[in-house]
Amino acid sequence: MRYRILVLAAFLLTVAAAPFPRAQTPAPAAASSRLEGDWVRIDPDGAGSFDGLGASIPPAQLLPGVTASGGRGGRGRGGRGGAPGAQPTGPNAAGVPYIVVAQPCGGGGGGRSNGALLVNPDSGGVHFVEQKDEVIFAGERGGVRHFYLDGRAHPSPWTPTPAGHSVGRYEGNTLVVETTGFTPGGVTGGGVRTAETVLVERFEVAPDGRRLTITYTWNDPKIYQKPHVYRYYFERAPTVSSGGSPVSYALEEWCDAGDPVEKQSIVPPKQIIK
Amino acid sequence: MKRLRVWPVAVACLAVAPMTMIGRAAQENRTSPDISGFWELNFDSRQVPRASLLPSVTRAKIDARAKGDAYAVRWCNLLGVPFVMDPGRPLDIRQGATAVIIAPENSSAPRYLYTNRGTHISDDIFDPSTNGDSIAHWEGDTLVVDTAGFHGEHGITAIPGGGYRTEKSRLVERYRLVKDGTLLSVTFTWTDPTVFRTPHSYEYRYHRLPATYEPRQWLPCDPYDEERAKFLDPPRIATPARRPIAKE
Repeated sequence: MRYRILVLAAFLLTVAAAPFPRAQTPAPAAASSRLEGDWVRIDPDGAGSFDGLGASIPPAQLLPGVTASGGRGGRGRGGRGGAPGAQPTGPNAAGVPYIVVAQPCGGGGGGRSNGALLVNPDSGGVHFVEQKDEVIFAGERGGVRHFYLDGRAHPSPWTPTPAGHSVGRYEGNTLVVETTGFTPGGVTGGGVRTAETVLVERFEVAPDGRRLTITYTWNDPKIYQKPHVYRYYFERAPTVSSGGSPVSYALEEWCDAGDPVEKQSIVPPKQIIK
Repeated sequence: MKRLRVWPVAVACLAVAPMTMIGRAAQENRTSPDISGFWELNFDSRQVPRASLLPSVTRAKIDARAKGDAYAVRWCNLLGVPFVMDPGRPLDIRQGATAVIIAPENSSAPRYLYTNRGTHISDDIFDPSTNGDSIAHWEGDTLVVDTAGFHGEHGITAIPGGGYRTEKSRLVERYRLVKDGTLLSVTFTWTDPTVFRTPHSYEYRYHRLPATYEPRQWLPCDPYDEERAKFLDPPRIATPARRPIAKE
């Protein structure tokens, strides 16, 4: 009997002394943490190319006299400078590289997009960290956007920037972000923007947490006949095993503008014709 | 009689066990400090002793590294750790549920300090990067961050106080709020069997900026700006070449 009770006592003391699973960071709670993590844009309709994805976006209804800037968005290497020129009509000769960019790695401006690429993300992974006063939206291709949740207003005066100025709030589990103060330019779907144009983005995560839909609504009564609305779709980034658990993480895209190879894509090999 | 002797032991254990568990749970579930905010270094914010370097770290190696660092600046490459922690402009640090992000106001990639895992991504998966792979956990009021997986050549590799980052480098940082949360102390400790004789530690103290601070737009970094190139590196303007550094 004594032995059994001593065993019981030893068991209870062991339980009491056993380490608890280490608490993960009890971060200050954001209104919603469903968005946090890593995402990649997907092609739900099977368009198969960035041009195809762009074509699925309803064209902007511009007011008479407003000229579209040709902003299609979604180009594969957008934000790295050197917009693609005319498409070749046939294969390059053997040994002649397909030149995809004249000035790789963001030549001609702020470098790595300064967050502008995240207004309409391309194929690079994107990442959210949610904190009660701010959500940071970052991309592996560089740049971050700051979504302020602390109640601040858009600054006035404000010098327009490619990513504009963003304030946000939660509506249930949806993060609603309003951005204005853009530098003038094009908008996905043939739209146009100015410093006064207002973009509202709704970041909605599916109930299973696996899919993210961003609904874009561009409003500007001086430009659009009606709000220009379209959607982008994302899935959680692929995971790897770490310590037995599936985790994803932000990749770091390296681009060395001093490396001549960065200008090239595929160099066609010598063709053998039988 | 025997029962009278053993039961008090069991009863005492039953009483003590939950108290111990509750005490530990309360301790571990205590809300960690929030280091979120905008943080800036001042001219008197750095306490950096000279690093004790191995004899194998020759002047020639240090010069070659400096040349490589200048190349990274010249071509607007990602600059990485440790430079990103002292980039000349404020840092935006946000503490989320799974990670702490450190976003600089320049074109360097943000850092992610993952609090949702306790092990590094394995070497056969993780591509070495300028920021490496950072995992973090709380020890009381201190956020302890362990970083491995650095790239040995990319970005600015110079480490304050001497030495340079290699693929064998390991960095442990300790983040702690001081002076009622108006300062953020970060102690950096580098170890590297190819560079340092002893672990090299230094401390930065960041000042908290007003919560209403607005991060500024990056200043442009255009690698194709000829005037800039002339200023930075006259001989190499016309002939871009790969980074002139050999692996360690």
